[in-house]
Amino acid sequence: MATVYKAPLRDMEFVYYELLGGEKLAELPGYEEADPDTVKAIWEEAGKIAEEVMFPLNRTGDEEGCHFENGVVRTPKGFKEAYDLYCESGFTGLTADPEYGGMGMPHSVGLMIAEMMSATNHSFSMYPGLTHGAYNAINAHGSEEQKNTYLPKFVEGTWSGTMCLTEPQCGTDLGLIRTKADPKEDGSYNINGTKIFISAGEHDLTDNIVHLVLARMPDAPPGIKGISLFLVPKFLIKEDDSLGPRNGVSCGAIEHKMGINANSTCVINFDDAEGYLIGKKHKGMEAMFVMMNSARVGTGMQGLAACEQSYQGAVEYARERVQMRSLTGAKHPEMKADPIIVHPDVRRMLLTIRAYSEGCRAMSSWIAQELDQHEKNPDPVRKQEADDLASLLTPVIKAFQTDVGFESANLGVQVYGGHGFIREHGMEQYVRDARIAQLYEGTNGIQALDLVGRKMGMHMGRYLRRFFHPVQEFIEAEMEVPEMNEFVMPLAKAFSRLQQASAWIAQEGMKNPDQAGAASVDYLRMFGLVTLAYMWARMAKIALAKQDGDEAKFYQAKIKTARFYMQKLLPQTGSLFSTIMTGSETLMDFDEEFF
Amino acid sequence: MTEINKVAVLGAGVMGAGIAAHVANAGLPVVLLDIVPDGAKDRNVVASGAIAQLLKTKPAPLTSKRNAKLITPGNLDDNMDMLSDCDLIIEVVIERLDIKQGLYKKIDAVRKKGSMVASNTSTIPLNQLVDSAPDGFADDFVIMHFFNPPRYMRLLEIVSGPKTRPEVTKAISEFGDVKLGKGVVHCKDTPGFIGNRVGNLWGVAAARFAFEEGLTVEEADSIIGKPLGFPKTGIFGLADLVGIDLTPHVAASMLKSLPEKDMYRDLYQENELMTKMIADGYTGRKGKGGFYRINKESGKKVKETINLVTGEYAPTVKSTLASAKAGKKGIRAVVEYDDKGGRYAWKVLSHSLSYAASMVPEISDTIYQVDEALKDGYAWKWGPFEMIDKLGAAWFAEKLAAEGMEVPELLKTVGDGTFYRVENNKVQFMETDGSYSDLPRGEGVLLLSDIKLASEPVSKNGSASLWDIGDGVICLEFHTKMNSLDDGIVAQMKKATKLIEKGDFKALVIHNEGENFSVGANVGLALFAANLGLWPVVESAMSDGQKTLKKLKYSKFPVVSAPRGMALGGGCEVLLHSDAVQAHVETYTGLVEVGVGVIPGWGGCKEMITRHTLNKRRPGGPMSAMMGAFEMISTAQVATSAAEAKEKLIMREGDGITMNRDRLLADAKAKALALLDGYTPPEEVEISLPGPTALTAVNLAVEGFVANGMAKPHDATVSKALGRVLTGGDTDMTEVVTEDQLYALEREAFLGLLKTEKTLQRIEHMLTTGKPLRN
Repeated sequence: MATVYKAPLRDMEFVYYELLGGEKLAELPGYEEADPDTVKAIWEEAGKIAEEVMFPLNRTGDEEGCHFENGVVRTPKGFKEAYDLYCESGFTGLTADPEYGGMGMPHSVGLMIAEMMSATNHSFSMYPGLTHGAYNAINAHGSEEQKNTYLPKFVEGTWSGTMCLTEPQCGTDLGLIRTKADPKEDGSYNINGTKIFISAGEHDLTDNIVHLVLARMPDAPPGIKGISLFLVPKFLIKEDDSLGPRNGVSCGAIEHKMGINANSTCVINFDDAEGYLIGKKHKGMEAMFVMMNSARVGTGMQGLAACEQSYQGAVEYARERVQMRSLTGAKHPEMKADPIIVHPDVRRMLLTIRAYSEGCRAMSSWIAQELDQHEKNPDPVRKQEADDLASLLTPVIKAFQTDVGFESANLGVQVYGGHGFIREHGMEQYVRDARIAQLYEGTNGIQALDLVGRKMGMHMGRYLRRFFHPVQEFIEAEMEVPEMNEFVMPLAKAFSRLQQASAWIAQEGMKNPDQAGAASVDYLRMFGLVTLAYMWARMAKIALAKQDGDEAKFYQAKIKTARFYMQKLLPQTGSLFSTIMTGSETLMDFDEEFF
Repeated sequence: MTEINKVAVLGAGVMGAGIAAHVANAGLPVVLLDIVPDGAKDRNVVASGAIAQLLKTKPAPLTSKRNAKLITPGNLDDNMDMLSDCDLIIEVVIERLDIKQGLYKKIDAVRKKGSMVASNTSTIPLNQLVDSAPDGFADDFVIMHFFNPPRYMRLLEIVSGPKTRPEVTKAISEFGDVKLGKGVVHCKDTPGFIGNRVGNLWGVAAARFAFEEGLTVEEADSIIGKPLGFPKTGIFGLADLVGIDLTPHVAASMLKSLPEKDMYRDLYQENELMTKMIADGYTGRKGKGGFYRINKESGKKVKETINLVTGEYAPTVKSTLASAKAGKKGIRAVVEYDDKGGRYAWKVLSHSLSYAASMVPEISDTIYQVDEALKDGYAWKWGPFEMIDKLGAAWFAEKLAAEGMEVPELLKTVGDGTFYRVENNKVQFMETDGSYSDLPRGEGVLLLSDIKLASEPVSKNGSASLWDIGDGVICLEFHTKMNSLDDGIVAQMKKATKLIEKGDFKALVIHNEGENFSVGANVGLALFAANLGLWPVVESAMSDGQKTLKKLKYSKFPVVSAPRGMALGGGCEVLLHSDAVQAHVETYTGLVEVGVGVIPGWGGCKEMITRHTLNKRRPGGPMSAMMGAFEMISTAQVATSAAEAKEKLIMREGDGITMNRDRLLADAKAKALALLDGYTPPEEVEISLPGPTALTAVNLAVEGFVANGMAKPHDATVSKALGRVLTGGDTDMTEVVTEDQLYALEREAFLGLLKTEKTLQRIEHMLTTGKPLRN
C-alpha cells in the first residue's frame, strides 16, 4: 500500500473563482489571457504531469538522492527527463512576461501549479521554483541588457537560477556577510567567498546556472546597509548570448539532509568569479525585499502541499486498512473488521488535515491574488491596499502554513500506524520533506518577529486595518443571517481575541520588546487560525447557497469541514490567548546559566 | 514715583516698533516717535508706517491686532511734549553716540520729574552714553537691552550705571519681568553685555572650526544644533535666519571694544566666502538665500546648501555623522565621539564654555545669570555652566589643560564638584568664592520644578502627576510625550477630583512646564485601536474623557487651567471645561481636530456652540451662533496668543493673562483661591439649536466649497459631520438640547469619521510626518 495523489482541481477552482472571484484578474492590463477556461486547462495539464510524472519520481528520487563527484552534481534518475517535459509544457514561463517569451499568467495561477508540483515532488519543484525567484529579481532590478540576456533563458528553462545568501557565519543576520565584490575596470566585479545551503546550486538539468549573490563591496558601510546583489553565471556569456568559458564558481560539496534529498543543497565557492551588479550599489537588501513577499507565500504554499499530499495518502489508507470494529458496532459486518475510517480519532486526524489543507489553499490564494492586484492594478489606492494586506499576511502564510503542513504530515504518518514509519509507504518522506519549509526563507520564529515587530506597527498599524476591517464588516453583515450563525459566532469570538491580543502586544511591546518577542509565535498562529476561520466562514457561505445543487456532495463536505474547523480547530485561539497574556516573564526570568 | 503706566519709545525701526508693540501687548499706552523725513507730507510717516507694518509682520509682534490702537505715532520734532506724561522713555535710535546724546538732552527737557530713561543700545557703554548728560539724568538712566523680536525673545539685559538710583533699576526690572514677561538679567557695563559676549564667541567658534575641521554645512548644523542643546537650525541655519550681513557689523563693534587679550580676537577671522556671499546678496533668508537656499530653477523647490570650500550650491544632503546621533546619550557622548563631528563639537564647546567660565565675575557676578542670558537670548537648552556640569567640570578642566588651553579660575574653584547642586530640596549655584547660594526666586514666582524638587507627588502614573502646591491647591501636571492626553491623564483627573471631594484639597490647577500645555489627545492610540476595529475601546475612551471633563466643570470646587505654548484639540477642551483660565501670553490654542479628519470629541463642539449661542455680541437668529462655531472648528483656527483666545471665546472675559511664564502658576493658584470664596459650580446650560434644516444649509455651503476647489471631498465629509453636531442633530428651535445630547452627537460623529479610510490616512500622515494631509 502506498501513497496516492490526485490533483485537487475542483477545490482549486472553487477557491480561485467561487470564493475569490479570480476571473476579475483577467480584467487587469497584462492579465488578459487569464480567462477561466485557459486557466483551468493549464491546471488540468499541470495536474496530469504532477500525477503521472512527478509523483512517481518522488520516492525514487528520495531513495537515490543527488550524486556529487568531482564538483559535478547529478540529479536522481528521471529528473532530467521530467524537467525537460516540464519546460516543454511551458510551465517555466507561465507567469513570465510575454516580452521574454512567457505566458503572462497571474502569479496566483502559477501558485496552484506550484502546489501540485510540490505536493507530488517537493525536491523537484524547487529547481524551477528557484529560477522563478531569480527571474523576479532580475526583472525587478536588472538592467535592460541583463533582462534581455537572462530572462528568455529562464523562461525556456535552459538556464536556471539560485539565491546565494547564506554563509557559514551568517544565516538570519545577513549583515554579517563576508563575500567580497571588488570592482574591476570593465565595470564587472570580482566575487570571492563561500556560500552554503544553496538549493539547486549545482545540477545537471540546465545548460547554465545563474547565481544571484549577496556580497559586500570594499567601500561598503558595515552591516545590512552595505550589501549589494550580484549576478554570477556558472558559464560566462559571450556577446552572442552563447555560453563561454567556465566562471570561477564551483560546487564544493552537497549537504546530507533530513529531507528534500533529491534537491541538491550545495556549498558554492566563488574564486575570482566574474559578477555583475544588479540594481544599486549597497541596495542589495532592498532588491531582495521586493521578492520576499512572493517567495514567502510560495514557501507557505509548500506547507499547504504537505497537507494535501498527507491527506490524500492518509484517506486512502484509512479506507483500506481494516482493523477492529467501530466503537458503536460494526459498520461493515460483511468484513472481518471495519476500515479504520470509522474511528472518531482517525476522523479527527483526517478532518484536521483536510480543514487545514483547504483553508490554507484559500488563504494563500487570497493573498497571491492580492499580490497580482498589487502588480497589475492601475489604481494606486487598490495597489497599495493589496500590498498592505499581502505584507501583513505574508509571514502568517509562510509560518502558519508550513507549521500545519508539518503537523499534518505527522498526522498522516499517525493514521498509518507503524506502517507510516516504513519508508516504502512514502508517508515518512512527507514529514522529512515538509520540515525544511519551517526553516528556510526565514525561520518561522523570524516570521513571527516580522509580524509583531515590523508588520504590526508599519505605518502606525495601517496594514492591520486591511485585514481587521473587512473581517469585521463580514462578521457584522453575516451576524444577521441565521444559517451563518454557527460559523460567524466562533469567528467573532476568535476575532475579538485576536484584536485584544494585538492591542496588548502593541502596548506592552512598546514598553518591553521581549513581551512582543515572547508572544510572537503564539500570536502568529492565532492570526493564522483566525484568517482560516474567516476563509472557512466565507466558504461556508458560498456552499450553503449551493448545497442542494448539482454538486451537493462537494458543497455539503465544505459546510461540514467548516463546521469541524470552527468547533475543533479554531478554539486553539483560546489557549493561545491565555499564553500570550502571561507575557515574557517566565522566559526571561530564567537565568542563562540555569539552562 | 516708579510706577510705569505710560511708555514712550523713540525710534521706530524694527526693534523700536517691536518694543512698542510688546509694551502695548502688556496693555499699556505707548508713544512711538521717529524723525520727520525730508519733505514728508505726513510728518509722522515713519512711526505710522511702522505701526501699519506691525500688523503685517510674521511672526506677529502684537498679541492682538487691537493692541495697535494703544500705540500713538508721532515725530521727534513736533511731539516731544508727548513724553511729558510718560513714566518710561526707551531710546531705540541708531547706534551713534552723538545722536543718542543729543536726543537725551531733548528728552531731559520735556520728561517729567522722576521719569525713567532707558537705551536699547547693544554696543555703546553706559558710561559714555551719560557722560555729557544733564544733571540728574544718569540717576534715572539704565540700558534695557532687548533681543529681536522683542515679543518672542525672552532675554532682557539691564545695565545700571554708578549713578542709577536703585529704585529705578528695581522698577524697570519689575516692569520687564512682570509686565513684559521677560527674563531679566543684570549685566555689568562691559562690551556685548552677557548674551552677545558669549554668544558671539560661540558663533565665531562654530563657523571657524567648521571650516577648519572640514565639515559640510549640513554636518556642522547636525552637531552645533539639537545634539548639544543649541537651536535646531544649527549654526549656519541660524546665520541664515538672523542675517549673514550682520556678522561684519557685530565683529567690528566687538573688535573695537573688547579687551586686548580676548579669545574673540584669536578666533575671529574675516571669512572670504561670507564676504562674497554678502556682496552677492546671499545674506540669508531675507536675501537670495544664505548657506541654504531654495532653488526653483527646475520648477520644483529644491533645497540646496553651499559648499564651504568651493562656494557652489548643491542639493542638501542629510548629515550622516554618527556623533550627531550620540546626542541621545548626552553631550559628553558627542564630544567624545571619535569622528570629525565629535572633534568639531569639542573644539566649539571647549572654546565657548571655557570662555564663558572665564567671564565670571568680569561680565556678571553670578554664573546663573550667564546661563539665563544664553538660554533666554540665544535659545540654548542649557547654559554654559549647566553644560559644563553635564560634561563633568573636572573632566572638562583636565581635557582643557591636556590640550594646552587655559583653565579658567572658576573651573579650578569648582574642582570635581558641580556649578549647580540641590541642597535641602533647593537648587543652589556656586558663587565665585566656591560657596553655594540658593537660586533666587522673585516674589510671585512659583515654579512647579521647584515644588517637584522639594516634595513627593501626591499621586503619579506614567502620564501625569498631582502635586501639592500649598494653600489647599493641587496641581495636575501632564508629562506624556508632547503632553498628549491619554487614559493615564484622564485617570489622574479623576484622582484629583476624588482627593478634593474627600476634603484633602480645595481647588485644582492644571498646569505643566513643558514646552506645550498639550498638543491634544494621543491619536496614535486611537489610530491603532481603529486599525484593529476596536471601536468599543475608542468609544469608551471618548465617553470616559467626556464624563471626566464634565465632572471637572460641574464639580463643587474651582478648576483653573494655566496653559502656555500649545493647547490644541483635547488640550483646548481641557481649557474649555475649566472654571477659569490663567494663560501665559504665549498660548496657542484651538480645536484643530479636522486636520486629522475628526471633530472635537471631548466636548469641544459642545462648548463652542454653547459659548457662541450665549455670546451677547453675536448677531441675532439661530444661524449666527452655529456659523461662528462652525467656521472656527471646520477651519481648525488657532488663537496665536492668549488675547486672541479671548477673541475666539476659548477664554472668557474674566480669564487672566500672565506675561511672565515663571509667574503663571502663582497667578493661577491665586485665581483658584480667589474663586474658592463662595464658590458655586456653573449651572448646566440648555440651548436650542436649529437641527436638520440648518444642516441642509451647511451641507450646501460645504458642497460649494468642494465644487470650487476650496475644500477636498473629505473636508466635506468632516464638515458635514461637524455640522450635524453643531446644529444639534435631530432637533429644532422649539426643543432644548442638553449637554449630554451634544456629547453623544460628538461621539457618533467622531466614530463615524474614524471608520473612514481618509480620516485614518490623515491621522497616519500626521503621526508620521507631523503635517496635515489634504486628501
